[in-house]
Amino acid sequence: MGFPPYKWSEFDSSPWTPFKKPLDRACLALISSAGISRDDQEPFDPWSVNDLSFRRIPINTPFERLRLHDNYFDHRDALKDFNCIFPAQRLMEFVDQGHIGRLAATAITLGMGRLYKRTALQNETVPTIVEVLKGEGVDAAVLMPA
Amino acid sequence: MMAQVKAPRSVFLNFPLGHGCGRPHDAFMQTQILKDALNVLVTAKNPGDIVDLPYQWDRPFDFPGFLEDIQDMVKEEDGTLQEWKPKE
Repeated sequence: MGFPPYKWSEFDSSPWTPFKKPLDRACLALISSAGISRDDQEPFDPWSVNDLSFRRIPINTPFERLRLHDNYFDHRDALKDFNCIFPAQRLMEFVDQGHIGRLAATAITLGMGRLYKRTALQNETVPTIVEVLKGEGVDAAVLMPA
Repeated sequence: MMAQVKAPRSVFLNFPLGHGCGRPHDAFMQTQILKDALNVLVTAKNPGDIVDLPYQWDRPFDFPGFLEDIQDMVKEEDGTLQEWKPKE
């Protein structure tokens, strides 16, 4: 589609916090970059460039109320079943089965696409997301890139 | 890409983009993939570890096919393919 080569962020090391809590007592958050919004929120631009915004989606939102606007991947299967890229139903089953302690009430969704402002992403968007998740007592996040 | 970004713990699933948790309506596979990922969360010992998951996509796929799929999708949805231009 005529995109210039993308320069991925490269890091020499990885931040590391040992995960000590038993999974069945831990709080997990879901983060997706598949351009998902709720029907009462501003949708993402399916061809977004440098969109640093994110949406807060209540984790128990019925899938009928979710919208997906992201044309940087073939999203047809995801629209048939959001669990392909936003596995909220599967994770809620894990809670019911006692496999994980609980889920953060808020899932985080981003549009991403072509994002060249990586410094702003790191210094502005990410800290805001971290604050939201910390406020909900999250122990670990499941990142679903798309 | 995952190796460059170095998230603390990752699993690699060799599926076409948009299927990070597996196929639509395949709750069994989605559950297995997520359980494998959560297992890595608990068991990984080294920062930046990437664990390959053993699942196979049912047909070959590649990058040209990925672009063709997007064009088919946009045509099917009656949208327009954006001509991307770098900002001035």
